[in-house]
Amino acid sequence: MSAAPTETPVTETPVLDKQPDTTPGGGQSDAAAAVKGVPSRGPGLRARFAGSPKALIVGMALLFAIVTAAVTGNGTWPGGLEVDVKTPLTDLTDWLSLNRTTHPVFLYFLLHISNFAETAYLSLVDLFAAMGWLGVTVVVTLVAWAAAGADLSRRALRTGAIALGALALCGVLQMWEPTMETLSLMTVAVIASAVIGLLLGLASGLSDRCERVLRPVFDVMQIMPAFAYLLPLMLIFGIGQPPALIATVIYAVPPMARLTSLGLRAADPAALEASVSLGATGRQQLLTARLPLARKQMMLGLNQTIMMCLSMVVLASLIGAGGLGDRIYRAMATKDMGMALTAGISVVLIAVLLDRSTAAAGEQLQERVSQVATRAALLLRRGVWLLALVLFVVFALFGTALGQEAWPEAWSVDLTTGIQQGVDWITRELSFMANWSDAFARGVLNPVRSGLIAVPWWALLLLVAAVGWAVGTWRAAMTGVLCLALIGALGLWDASMDTLSQVFAGLALTVLVGVLIGVLAARVPTIERVLRPVLDVMQTMPQFVYLIPVIGLIGQGRAVGVFAAVIYAAPAVIRITTESLKQVDPTVLEASRSLGDTTSQQLFKVQLPLARKGLLVGVNQGVVLVLSMVVIGGMVGGGALGYQVVYGLSKQNLAIGLPAGAAIVCLGLMLDRLSQPREKHGGR
Amino acid sequence: MHSSTHDTQSNPSNPSKHSKRIRNAILAGSAVVGMLAVSACSAASTTNAGGSDDKVTLAQPSWAGAQANIAVAKKLLEDELGVEVDVRQMNETAAFTAMDGGQADAVLEDWHGNPKQLKTFVEKKKSVVSAGELGVKGHIGWYVPKYYADKHPDITNWKNLNKYADDFKTSESKGKGQFIGADPEYSQHDTGIIKNLDLDFTHVPSGSESAQQEEIERLYKAKKPFLTYWWTPQVLQNELELVEVELPKYTKGCNVPVEKADCGYPHVDLEKFMNADFAKNGGDAAEFIKNFKWSNEDQDAVVNYMTQDKMKPEAAAEKWIKENKDVWEAWLPKK
Amino acid sequence: MTDPNTNTAKTTEPTAADPAAPADPAAPAFAVRDLWKVFGPKADRIPGDPAHQALSTAELREKTGCTAAVRDVSFDVRRGEVFVVMGLSGSGKSTLVRTLTRLIEPTSGSIAMDGEDVLGMDKNRLRELRRRQTAMVFQHFGLLPHRSVLDNVAYGLEIQGVGKAERRAKAQEIVEKVGLAGMEERRPTQLSGGQQQRVGLARALAVDPEVLLFDEPFSALDPLIRRDMQEEVIRLHREEGRTMVFITHDLSEALRLGDRIMLMRDGAIVQLGTPEEIVANPADEYVRDFVRDVPREQVISVRRAMRPADAAESGSGKELAPDTLVVDAIEAVASSGEPCRVVEDGRTLGIVDHERLLAVVAGIDGTLADTEAVTV
Repeated sequence: MSAAPTETPVTETPVLDKQPDTTPGGGQSDAAAAVKGVPSRGPGLRARFAGSPKALIVGMALLFAIVTAAVTGNGTWPGGLEVDVKTPLTDLTDWLSLNRTTHPVFLYFLLHISNFAETAYLSLVDLFAAMGWLGVTVVVTLVAWAAAGADLSRRALRTGAIALGALALCGVLQMWEPTMETLSLMTVAVIASAVIGLLLGLASGLSDRCERVLRPVFDVMQIMPAFAYLLPLMLIFGIGQPPALIATVIYAVPPMARLTSLGLRAADPAALEASVSLGATGRQQLLTARLPLARKQMMLGLNQTIMMCLSMVVLASLIGAGGLGDRIYRAMATKDMGMALTAGISVVLIAVLLDRSTAAAGEQLQERVSQVATRAALLLRRGVWLLALVLFVVFALFGTALGQEAWPEAWSVDLTTGIQQGVDWITRELSFMANWSDAFARGVLNPVRSGLIAVPWWALLLLVAAVGWAVGTWRAAMTGVLCLALIGALGLWDASMDTLSQVFAGLALTVLVGVLIGVLAARVPTIERVLRPVLDVMQTMPQFVYLIPVIGLIGQGRAVGVFAAVIYAAPAVIRITTESLKQVDPTVLEASRSLGDTTSQQLFKVQLPLARKGLLVGVNQGVVLVLSMVVIGGMVGGGALGYQVVYGLSKQNLAIGLPAGAAIVCLGLMLDRLSQPREKHGGR
Repeated sequence: MHSSTHDTQSNPSNPSKHSKRIRNAILAGSAVVGMLAVSACSAASTTNAGGSDDKVTLAQPSWAGAQANIAVAKKLLEDELGVEVDVRQMNETAAFTAMDGGQADAVLEDWHGNPKQLKTFVEKKKSVVSAGELGVKGHIGWYVPKYYADKHPDITNWKNLNKYADDFKTSESKGKGQFIGADPEYSQHDTGIIKNLDLDFTHVPSGSESAQQEEIERLYKAKKPFLTYWWTPQVLQNELELVEVELPKYTKGCNVPVEKADCGYPHVDLEKFMNADFAKNGGDAAEFIKNFKWSNEDQDAVVNYMTQDKMKPEAAAEKWIKENKDVWEAWLPKK
Repeated sequence: MTDPNTNTAKTTEPTAADPAAPADPAAPAFAVRDLWKVFGPKADRIPGDPAHQALSTAELREKTGCTAAVRDVSFDVRRGEVFVVMGLSGSGKSTLVRTLTRLIEPTSGSIAMDGEDVLGMDKNRLRELRRRQTAMVFQHFGLLPHRSVLDNVAYGLEIQGVGKAERRAKAQEIVEKVGLAGMEERRPTQLSGGQQQRVGLARALAVDPEVLLFDEPFSALDPLIRRDMQEEVIRLHREEGRTMVFITHDLSEALRLGDRIMLMRDGAIVQLGTPEEIVANPADEYVRDFVRDVPREQVISVRRAMRPADAAESGSGKELAPDTLVVDAIEAVASSGEPCRVVEDGRTLGIVDHERLLAVVAGIDGTLADTEAVTV
């Protein structure tokens, strides 16, 4: 980072006169003072400990843990304190298997839900088939264009073009049919998640009591790896779309609910008071003021919900959801990398399509607040919506007559062979990476794991309590300790320490990579632009597609899971780093330049310290994301808790799968609370 | 609330309104539940669209042999009997759940990997019934690559495994030799074998079949030693030369429970299963599936078309069908 | 019960409000008696307890954890007047104005609007009151960003259930009245602060309320625009004669707009009177401090500045009305070169000469006034 492109003439001139009096404008000299106030190097370690009793206590707890670990050598949770959950869970599995199709609870309640879900899904599949490829492409493109404003602005045209391109590419890649299946699943799941999320969001946004009850529930729902509840859902609802859809809804509801609630609570109090002062009833106030004011947040929530639905719909192919995920799953079975990657690309395309359309729709809604459309634009927009509706009906009725049901074969390209060759080439040429991963496992993963296992359980509880208390509140400490104790009681101490060691290693790498790239992106706009689609792909490409080839590269084991975790979690950290660096008060930065700081001085003395809070949020998100992916690593030799969940899932064994799932939730809650910056942040 | 800002106070959610709102919510909620209850008075149908008459849903496990079965069966059912076939990817255990719930009609190749489910669904609940043997014999065992066995011929007996344990050490094996375990879904009792035969090996599980295959291929390419759970027939059997390590002979029940297991694996006659309703009312399609029976060689042929000649399953099936009319004609229901 | 802090001569003795009486056209717009608003745990116990009442705000908070935002306040708002409540931030003035329509529930005391007991109203009656009898203008505007100017102005009517065409027509009328014609279809975010507050004002006017309540409406605006808006309020008041309760922390604004000013400190009334009374006769050191920099000649009238005329003077000299401000009298005295007569109904009340006028400007008239001022 020697040549800083952000360097401007400002850097040179004021260096000559460092007298504060000559600095023009009071604000700037304040800023300069602020820069000077940022310590060039933190106070000595001892001074810090002396200054902060919290740091001192954490330090002591850490020291205590290390010493006791060295003395005892093995600190696993004592068997006497374990609780037997296996027997009742085994009984429950048997009962569910035997009664799933006959017991009244299922006949009169649960089966209605699953039949409804399945019927909705199947009708949509039929609908898309009836519309034919032409109908779907035209209507979706029109809707995307209309949602983005239906005008000739760059945004609207781009959104329409993205929709058209994404669908066409799915067709060209011979993935039309599974894409339609995935879209059908998505439609059902998104509608259900959005409605449920909206209702829960309303409840927790309007009532403090509901908020208090629902918030921890959302926390758990977001931290709980989807893997953990696929199993019980499968046991209850069987195989196929219903459990997949229900799992998806559980997974995707929290952002919608959280952001709706946040929007309702963050509404301009003056506007609400004005509404009351004019004599509005509760309902009038809700409909005319609160809900419209929360619209932006709700759109954001919808966008997040849609993206989460997509990732879950793909994962749910493990329990028979069908669609693109199923193609990937099937391709993996025959190690058909070409097919897996083509299906994976289609998933990314759908993700981009949905993300950009909802984001554009949100922006458009916001813009309508700041400027009123002309009459002509308004008419055009209505016209386009109407046209989309008419075309929808026409195609639904006569679609197959106008075009074929599936994408014409002649217009497709088979990339699978090429991709397979490419993958083979990479595996061959980069095989030296196996040594790296081996070194990583031996040099990092193993020592961390042995260390964690060596620390006596009571010393670790103490350490968690100390850290929880230091970073947050006594409540964070309590949650952490309880979670850890529950893990011990479930008899999963060693496996959890194994998982934890992978999380720590993954987190360290993620933060390292994330902050590094994030800093680069914040300083070089070109990098940020280039990075965006790459990050999109990293976040939305189903992990399976690249996990298996990575095994060919570096071998089966924990390193693969950690690698996947870094790929999955780094984009969030990169984005947060970039954002928080860019938000650093420009006057402070200017002042720093005026004092003649070098680029690296600016970075380390001004930008990074000031962006600390944003970075902490990044770490907090990173922890949760890394954990969720390390668990998936159980499918590629990561062992530990993830493997037990996979085992439980594939053998339909609640006794193994459920406690492991619970332990993961506990780990997640603990890590989340211990890494949470003090203010609670809204939706993720 | 101590805060003296009026905003919080001016908010109409003062206690009385607040509790009233909650009361309303509860009322509305119970009304919805009531409506659900009324609509739910009728029992839900337990057979879903998957089990309709004109369409047969086959559950397809991940391995290639099973894909060969399905490809051939699907082609014949559609071309000869005019029955539409829907194939759903799912593992063995899931397949049983699906057959129990009616989301799948049949599975063509079961390795008896989950005795508990057999007991639950076939013996107790009788929602799943056997559709006879597939004709293919499966075998599971412990294998090492041939290049390693050539160098150390005595490794083919389990008693000598400890002697070579050091060769199999990896970063994942916690200081002992690494044993590459199977996809958790497959029938296995390797942890018991290692424990009860006092082997200096660590069972390092594979999370999925493809992961295990990829790992083995990688090690094979690098000519590194490895000891793995493996089975025949298998896609890779012609690409990789593996040698079986002899384990103590299987006797019935020697592997139950897994913790006490101290023996190798049996040769399994792979079996077909069906949804009970389908078996009764499935007509020609059910009859065909009951009759479907071929040999290891037949299945291998199709698998080879798919893996070595890189043919699509449909094309591979078509080729085999063209060449083996005498085999499959016997499967068609007698008119 | 008189407020312990209020030692000023109130210009009006509050007439006792009878909560049982029907809405009475002769009753004051608002009659407030013994009003308390206490925030904090078990706030109810504070007003009735003499021990607590004696404590200062800080002591009370320390002892009970409660904050008394409004302490034992009694006053009347007369029909048609601009009643200004003035105080620094934290003096309880914003809380007070919100208790009038129970946007904040008072802890104890009584409020009557047009003789009708406000605290006894049920939810529907209260809503009616808010919909039709009062309307409020807020410091931070409180506009709905997703609505056009016209729809924001029509919002109150919409709440009342007025049909779309009718309410938009009415809103259009008001929009023109406040000088926003041509901006009907803009969004609030496209307007300047002053324009936004005009929308807030129009929204309040649209429901044709009996009383307009202003909560520091102009304190977020630039000084020049603030002046414009004050003119606007003065104009509206002149044209419509609507009762206004105006909250401000700006003394010059209070003096400009107020028919009467109520000065508050720590939740209690310090002084209530006309601007002239407050400037000329500060009730205590606090008020004196407050009005120290006020250009007295622009507030005080000759009625307060004059001395008795001796016989020789009562026939000659320029005539001035008793309400003439000192600043104008100075001009008259300077131009004519002799003392002027203060005349009411043809009767000479007194004389202002440059000695008396200078005393007002210099702020030493108080001592003179106490001894020599004529009581009329």
